[in-house]
Amino acid sequence: MSIINKDRIVEAYIGEYAAGKSEAALSRALELAALGRKVTLVDLDIVEPCYTLRPVQKELMARGVDVIAWETKETLGLGEAGATIKPEARWALRRPGDVILDIGYGVAGSKTLKLLEGADEDPFLSVICVVNTSRPMTSGMEQIVEHVREMGKVDGLINNTHLGGETTVEVVQEGAGIITRAAKNLGLPVVATTAPAFIAGQIGSVDCLGNPVRPLAGMMSKAFW
Amino acid sequence: MSEKIMQEEKRVFMTGNEVVAWAAIAAKADIMYGYPITPQNEIMHYWTRLVPKYNKAFLQTEDELSAGFTTVGGVMAGRKAFTATAGPGNTLMQEPMSMAEMMRLPTVVVIQQRGGPSTATVIYSQQEVTLTTLGGNGEGMRIVYSTANHQELYDYTIKAFNTAWKYRFPTFVLGDGYQAKMREPLTIYRPEDRGMQIIEPQAYVGLAGVPGRDRPPAHHRNTYNLEEELYEKVSHDMAEFERIAPEVAEFQAENTDDADLVVVGHGVVFRAVREAVNNLREQGHQVGYFRPVTLRPLPVQQIKELSAGVGKILVVESAYGQLARLFKEVAYGGTAEITHFFRPGIGITATEVADRVKGLLEPVLRQPRLRKASFG
Amino acid sequence: MAPQPKMPRSWRAETKPHKFCPGCGHGIILKFLGEAIDELEIQDRVIFGCDIGCSLLSWDFFNLDSVQTHHGRTIPVMTGIKRARPELICIAYMGDGGGYSIGTQHMVSAAARNEKITAILANNTQYAMTGGQMAPTTLPGQKTETSPYGREPELTGYPLQGPEMVSAITPDGAYVARSSIGNLRQLKGALKKALENQINGNGFSFVEALSSCPTNWRTNAKDTWSFIENEMSKHFKVGEIKAPGTGQGEAG
Repeated sequence: MSIINKDRIVEAYIGEYAAGKSEAALSRALELAALGRKVTLVDLDIVEPCYTLRPVQKELMARGVDVIAWETKETLGLGEAGATIKPEARWALRRPGDVILDIGYGVAGSKTLKLLEGADEDPFLSVICVVNTSRPMTSGMEQIVEHVREMGKVDGLINNTHLGGETTVEVVQEGAGIITRAAKNLGLPVVATTAPAFIAGQIGSVDCLGNPVRPLAGMMSKAFW
Repeated sequence: MSEKIMQEEKRVFMTGNEVVAWAAIAAKADIMYGYPITPQNEIMHYWTRLVPKYNKAFLQTEDELSAGFTTVGGVMAGRKAFTATAGPGNTLMQEPMSMAEMMRLPTVVVIQQRGGPSTATVIYSQQEVTLTTLGGNGEGMRIVYSTANHQELYDYTIKAFNTAWKYRFPTFVLGDGYQAKMREPLTIYRPEDRGMQIIEPQAYVGLAGVPGRDRPPAHHRNTYNLEEELYEKVSHDMAEFERIAPEVAEFQAENTDDADLVVVGHGVVFRAVREAVNNLREQGHQVGYFRPVTLRPLPVQQIKELSAGVGKILVVESAYGQLARLFKEVAYGGTAEITHFFRPGIGITATEVADRVKGLLEPVLRQPRLRKASFG
Repeated sequence: MAPQPKMPRSWRAETKPHKFCPGCGHGIILKFLGEAIDELEIQDRVIFGCDIGCSLLSWDFFNLDSVQTHHGRTIPVMTGIKRARPELICIAYMGDGGGYSIGTQHMVSAAARNEKITAILANNTQYAMTGGQMAPTTLPGQKTETSPYGREPELTGYPLQGPEMVSAITPDGAYVARSSIGNLRQLKGALKKALENQINGNGFSFVEALSSCPTNWRTNAKDTWSFIENEMSKHFKVGEIKAPGTGQGEAG
């Protein structure tokens, strides 16, 4: 199979610490896999990783997603100095099919993509910044604009506003409002509003501002350390 | 722009380490000195991000000895200074904290416990209880708050600065790697808005006027010449520590009055303890829980009453008896049978606690009791 | 009563006579430090920190706000004060064990960061307060309680070159000198410049002073001077090594 495939999907999920990048990334990978597409999900969380794809990779693989991630027991002292990158991850963009990249947080922002071969010239690569307005550093429109500008290359935003177990439709919709305004200011699209499945069901296919709604798989709560 | 965040109470979603950084801002801390170690790094990551927005200061030091001693310098200069560490870093931190203990310096240190001994894991444990409560060459004249959730991390980090500057004993917030990295909602607020008085720091050195002319010089030492001189100094401080202990000590207890068995746990393990006890109560078991919030000083009176009034006590911890040792010393003389569930360096679930409790509630007929001790 | 030599204003008369041994170099270094503080009129904003070892006997020596710290930890305590209150002038006073052995990481790191404090180190070639053990500065062949047959460089190394090390790792703005109680004019000049350098906010300031310990050397006055002038000088070169704006201390 040729790498060049017109409807190839290559997405990198970046954002604030604990913004929900991994959950958004794995949910997207599962969504694509469910459509029968070939998907590789890559763990590039290298600054103090803690909730990572590592513990859930077997479950993801069972559901048809190819995962490039270490297993915690394979690497001595993981977390000590960030994390080592699995060698296969460097070549992930050379793989056929869709590639979903879970980029960790950190001041480097989307610069982390430079660690991947071919990231500079991949025409399909789309960088998506995940934002939760319940996090103080990204709670206001101006802060989000400042935050996204510090990230480097960004092609779209995801509204992942939530309050953990206290999340309500109102919380998500309020976040949609703030993030959509920030996206307009930045000249970027809101790719989606993401929410736990039962909330997403209540909101419907689009949020109060017309952004498409993606239900989350809810797997990361199992992925601690 | 960010200043607005702290202008009103707000429900937010954060990791524990971030909570500490925000709480330090709310407590009007001035400067953090720190050295990287997992799992406390994001305290520094977020403090350094907030520094320019709130006109604060940060110094990354060469090691934890330096982080502790620069913190000592910061408080002596009359600034609210703090640091954070874990594991082997906590070991090094004991030297500067023994100086703070001797000189009655209001240092604030946040400990996010990791596995031990040695480098062990970067993840989690409750194995730094002995070190944090009684470390250093001294008498453990420290105040240690053990938190169980993010709201408490926020509340007690703020409180730690007040406690330190009110009583002038080194004060610790004892968290762990789970709390450091977990994400959960909490309410952040300005303490003033809730009627809390923020205690202002005072300088030990760099006072107004020319020393020797306008005022005596401020001469501070931790060295003493004679045993008698040291005895007097330590006795004086120890008496003061014991005098304030009842007003500093905090605990949480439920259903202990009619309980056949009371489960004792602290920190994040208390979450499992509470859930287990609540479930067992619903199932009709006569059980309760007791949680020391301050591990130093312990709520002595309440522990004595508990161990005199209940049949069995089960101490649960992610360590091999570090809380149990402190607890049993206070409980000595009580009639309760004290048993253990020790899981050094690993998390404990409510189911595991409940299973252990059920095993203790049922009379053991299968084997004669040879030894009293029962180990996890 | 015979006329007494004039005491620096910043000295604390109530704690004199001081408790250093007869012939000890500390009193001389602290006298010129006191005079330098007087001349710079900074008594109201100096914080004096002293280490463990004989230097701790200076804890109440001055009419200065003072902190006696732990062995090797005076540099970080003074760093902590300076970072919290940059308007204060912070002096870290120590011996060669504190600065070059147990506290080397603090010396190196403060120097590399160009921490705006002044470190003053008395080098008497051994641990004096603990009874005369070998130090990083002990001379080859010198007998101490832990080198009873004389220091063997093959086994224990050569005398540590502190100012040269500090000079090599400090950025521009640092002031580094080695002085000697055998050259009072140069000693006082170096101490004053090291304080001025901090007042001007230039960077780390460091003065090593070759000092005497007749008690542990078991020397009379004549032999004490001879040891400093003839033995120590073979291994420790006295002079200014680095000063802002002079081009000194640059690689070459």
